Amino acid sequence: MSTDPGASGRATPTDLPPPCDRLTLDAIRACLEGVIPATIATVAPDGTPNVSLLSQVHYVDPDHIALSYQFFNKTRANILDNPDALLQVIDPPTGAQYRLRLSYLRTETAGPLFESMKAKLSGIASHVGMAEVFRLRGADLFRVVAIESVPGRSLPAPVRPRSLLSAARRACEGLRGCADLAELLDRAMAALRDLFGVEHALILLPDAATGRLFTVAALGYEGSGRGSGIGWEVAPGDGVIGVAARERVPIRITHMTTDVAYSLAMRDATADDPGLAREIPFPGLERPHSQLAVPILSHEPGLPDEQLAGILFVESPREMRFTYDDEDALVTVAAQIGALMRGLPAPHAAEAEEPARPAAAPADIRLTGCPHGAPVTVRHYATDDSVFLDHDYLIKGVAGAILWKLVRDHTSLGRVDFTNRELRLAPDIPLPDFAENLEARLILLQRRLADRCGALRIEKTGRGRFRLLVATPLRLEEMH
Amino acid sequence: MTDVAAAGLQPGGGLGDATIAFLARRVSVSVASSDRANRPCVGRALGARASADGARLTVLVDGRANAALVAAVAETGRLAVVISEPSTHRSIQVKGDTAVVATPTADEAALPAHHTDLFVAELVGIGFTEPFVRTVCAHDPADLVALHLRPGAVFDQTPGPNAGAPLSTRVPP
Repeated sequence: MSTDPGASGRATPTDLPPPCDRLTLDAIRACLEGVIPATIATVAPDGTPNVSLLSQVHYVDPDHIALSYQFFNKTRANILDNPDALLQVIDPPTGAQYRLRLSYLRTETAGPLFESMKAKLSGIASHVGMAEVFRLRGADLFRVVAIESVPGRSLPAPVRPRSLLSAARRACEGLRGCADLAELLDRAMAALRDLFGVEHALILLPDAATGRLFTVAALGYEGSGRGSGIGWEVAPGDGVIGVAARERVPIRITHMTTDVAYSLAMRDATADDPGLAREIPFPGLERPHSQLAVPILSHEPGLPDEQLAGILFVESPREMRFTYDDEDALVTVAAQIGALMRGLPAPHAAEAEEPARPAAAPADIRLTGCPHGAPVTVRHYATDDSVFLDHDYLIKGVAGAILWKLVRDHTSLGRVDFTNRELRLAPDIPLPDFAENLEARLILLQRRLADRCGALRIEKTGRGRFRLLVATPLRLEEMH
Repeated sequence: MTDVAAAGLQPGGGLGDATIAFLARRVSVSVASSDRANRPCVGRALGARASADGARLTVLVDGRANAALVAAVAETGRLAVVISEPSTHRSIQVKGDTAVVATPTADEAALPAHHTDLFVAELVGIGFTEPFVRTVCAHDPADLVALHLRPGAVFDQTPGPNAGAPLSTRVPP
C-alpha cells in the first residue's frame, strides 16, 4: 500500500504498517483473471449506493488495480465525486471471496497501463470484429487500501502442475550458448514444451518493411490442416499477436468464451454498422480458449527505446490455461530471448570464411547435379516475389526472392553452395535494412521447404553458408 | 432485452411485470449499501423476489458474510440491487432508500435453495462446475437476513452505452 505508480516515482509512507499475515493483492491475483465478474459498490454524493458487475479488473502492481473506462456510467460518476469503492471478487478455483477497499486515484489516457488495457480490449474485440467499437477512454487507477476475506466456504486449492519460477529459470539457462537464430528458436520451443507444458506455440518475427509478422517457429500445429504453422502471417493490430506487436505489451485472454460473450452483449447494445461485424482471420487453433502473446523486445545498449524483435505466442483449447504467473514467467523468458537475439554472432561476421562442410543429405536427394524424376515447376510472380511449386503456394516476399535467385543460379550455373553474404549483396533481393532479416528469411524458407518434404531443401553447411538440395529437375517460369 | 426494456416502475410505484419476470430467471443478485459516512458496502445475495404487485423487492443475504452491509441498511435504509443473467450479461438495477432488515419468513428462507438450483443450471451451462457454484452460494440458514425494499428507481445495467439509463423513462421497443 505504498506507491502511486507514475506519480512521483518514490514510495510514500503507508498509513499502517501491515502485519506479516496481511492479505496481499498478489496472493489473490487469480480473482482478477476475469473468469467471474467482480462486483463494485460506489456511493453518490447524496449517499445513494450503486452496485455494478465488472468483467475485467486489471492487476497493475501489488498495490493497485485499474478498471476500464469505456462508457460514462454511474460507477464512474460516483468515483469522480467520492473516491471510496468496495470491490468483491471470487477466486475461480476455490470459490473463496474477498473484498477490496479501493480509493480512486486518477484516470490515465496514455502510457503503458492504458496501452496494456486497450490492447487487451482490442485483443478481445478483434476476435469478434469489434475493434472499432471497443474504444477505451481511460484506465481508472485505484489504490487497494485493504483486503478482507469474506466469511464463507471454499473448495481446496488445486495442486499446481509445475513451478513456473523454476521453469523460467531453467528455460533461461537452457537458451544460452546458441550458435545461431535457428537454434535459439528451436531451444525456445523445446523449453515451452518441456518446461511449461505448452502444446501450441509460435514465434513470429517482424517484417521491417510491412510491419507484418511471420512465423519462423511453430509447435503443435501439425494437425491444423493448414501446415505446420511456419509461414503464417499476422497483420499489425490483428488478434492478440498483432495487438501485442503494435502496443509492445503482453496480451492474455484466459476465458475466451466469456470474453467473447461479453463483447457480443456490448456489440448488441452498440453496433448498427454491419461492416464492423467482420471476423478477422487468425492463425493458430480454430477454437482457442486461452491465448497469450508476449513481445520479444531488444534494447540497444544505453538507449531507452525498445525494438520489437518478435512475438512469443502460446495458446490452448483449455480455458484459464495461462495465468498472471504464466504471463510473468513467459515475459521473463521472452526478455532472455530478446537479449540473446541481440547477442547472437552477426551472421555475416564470419560467414564465407568457414569452408563448407559436406552436407548430411537425405538419401533420396542427390547432390551431384543430376536430379532425376518428374520435373517440378517453380513459378515466380515478380509483383510480390511469390513462389509456387507445381501450382502450390510456397512463399512470398524476401524469402520468395531468395528462393528464386537460388533456383535460377542452380539451373543456369549448376550451383548448389551459397553464402549469406552474396544474398545480402544481391541486387534482386529487396532486403530491408534490418540485421536479422536475412537469417530470419532463410530460416523461414528452409522450414517452409522442409514442411513440403518435396524436391527442394536447404541445409546449413557452415556459418553463413548453406546448400540447395535439388532432387528432381526444375522448370522455372517467371510471371509478370 | 425486450423483457428488461419494457420493465420499469409502474405508474403507482413498484416494479413492472417484466422486471418481476426477469427476477424469476436464472440470475445473479448483488447488493450495495452505504453507511452514514457514505462509505460503500457490497455483497452477493442468495435470492430475490418481488411481491405480486411489484411494490416490494425482497433480497436474501448471508448476514454473517455481509455484516457491515446489513448494518448499513439498518442505519440508512439505502439499498441498490443488481440483477444479472450471467449467460447474456443482461442486467437491471433497482434502488431505494427505505430498505429494512428483517428475519426471513419460512417462505423467504426457502428462496436461497431454489435460487442456488437455478444459478447452478445457469453457470454449469457456461462452464462452471456445480460444486463450485454451490460453494459460492453456501451459507448457514441461521445466518439468513431479509432486506425489504420499496423500489424507488430501476435502471438498465446491461454492459454498453445504455448502462445506467432509467428504465422508467425508456420507451419500450
